[in-house]
Amino acid sequence: MKDGNSEAMTMVFIAFTLTLVLWLTVFSHDDGPPGIRVLVASSLADVADDLADEWSSTSGLRVELVTGGSNHLAAQVRDGAPVDAFLTADADLFLTADTDLLGEPAIVHELAVNHLMVARPAVGPDREPADLHDPSLVLVACATGVPCGDAAAERFGDLPVDSYESSARAVVTRLTLDEADLGIVYATDVAAHEGLAAAWPQEPACPCVTYAAASLSPSGDPFVAFLGSDRARQILAAHGFDAEPPR
Amino acid sequence: MTGQLRAPRSVLVVATLTVAFLALPVLALLQRAPWSGLVDLLRRREVVDALGVSLLVSMVAAGIVLVLGTPLAWVLARVDVPFRRLVRALVILPMVLPPVVGGTALLFALGRRGLVGQWLERWFDLTLPFTTAGAVVAATFVALPFFVITVEGALRTSGDDLEQVASTLGADPLTVLRRITLPRLLPAMGAGLALAWARALGEFGATITFAGNLPGRTRTLPLATFQALESDPEAAVALSLVLLVVSLAVLLPTRHRWLPTQ
Repeated sequence: MKDGNSEAMTMVFIAFTLTLVLWLTVFSHDDGPPGIRVLVASSLADVADDLADEWSSTSGLRVELVTGGSNHLAAQVRDGAPVDAFLTADADLFLTADTDLLGEPAIVHELAVNHLMVARPAVGPDREPADLHDPSLVLVACATGVPCGDAAAERFGDLPVDSYESSARAVVTRLTLDEADLGIVYATDVAAHEGLAAAWPQEPACPCVTYAAASLSPSGDPFVAFLGSDRARQILAAHGFDAEPPR
Repeated sequence: MTGQLRAPRSVLVVATLTVAFLALPVLALLQRAPWSGLVDLLRRREVVDALGVSLLVSMVAAGIVLVLGTPLAWVLARVDVPFRRLVRALVILPMVLPPVVGGTALLFALGRRGLVGQWLERWFDLTLPFTTAGAVVAATFVALPFFVITVEGALRTSGDDLEQVASTLGADPLTVLRRITLPRLLPAMGAGLALAWARALGEFGATITFAGNLPGRTRTLPLATFQALESDPEAAVALSLVLLVVSLAVLLPTRHRWLPTQ
């Protein structure tokens, strides 16, 4: 017992020292230029990187992106997380009754529309629509409450789902790892990930998902205003989003 | 046990604050509990399903822990294992590893395309992710070390004098194990099992990464609580209460192990 204890003490001490050194090397440097913090629906993660880069290059301000499931992010906003803007896949959050939930966003844009797509791992065989109801295949989808999950439930009804994931990105991962046979993701995910393919040829259809952006602080205003620009719409369209000019 | 020591006031203050820090979240949970609608909340399908999955998964995991952990603890305590420190570090690893990392590692080991998992599928048509068995594997992975180190510690402190005597009197090793070692080890095994079971019951990260999240199959109480927190906080509080009650139920019968009474 005794040597076991001193052994454990040494291990803890070494781990602690390493952590401290790591912390010092990572966090001791200057924080860089001032910036804003933006919450981003996970399915917008890639395009948000490009949008942020574009805006940073003109404004000189840093954009810190925090990605996650839209409902999870909304919960963070409600709990008072210090954020400047919010890009959600649940446009209703801002555009309908519940605006008071998130305070008074100064600027709100409908950003783009994204369509659901049934995808398969790129290494897997082609599927057909009937396979969605085949209980022997592993099917993953977003949980209800997450925009991609709500849209999928509305469009496909009851399916023999094997796991409800917390975001579209999590479904993508299950497919790229080839742990699932079919997954309900976004058309943009299929375009962006080499490990994914459409399970069968699919036309864009709704129920689908509408993205919206809202600024939650004055510092967020310029960035959200930029998201309504033609340049931003070009970037969105380049990533496969259906980014019509505002109605 | 000990005489009445006069405690320095500063120590008492810090100790009191620490107790408050530990008790506060539990009190907050009780304060937020929707007492009037509690029975209806607990009767809901998703709560009943999650409780069923949790009990099944944690109890099967505890059984596996008992069967796999006892021989390992005995070997670690009594056999001159080469690289013992390394082996022990490996055994303890799941205890300190963030569970999500454990789940990711399990996925790459036992997933459908995993190191071993691909052969399980090819030879036995067995896939673990997204199954209750997968949730059991995740729970077993995180719970095993708690049992092993408890039992190993007990074996070391009790020494092996009686075993030596029995074996000089002609008992074969298996008889010694069955008649001498195991009976004396029962209290420690019970305590280790309670700890391991509680850990399996609370398991979240490895389960959601490895076994996924499906009501009635892999959605355990912690997963259901997490899910409910985003859409239905009252249900999340109710689920938390269930977990709290179950945890206390484990802690109280084994408390003499942690709380030496005078």
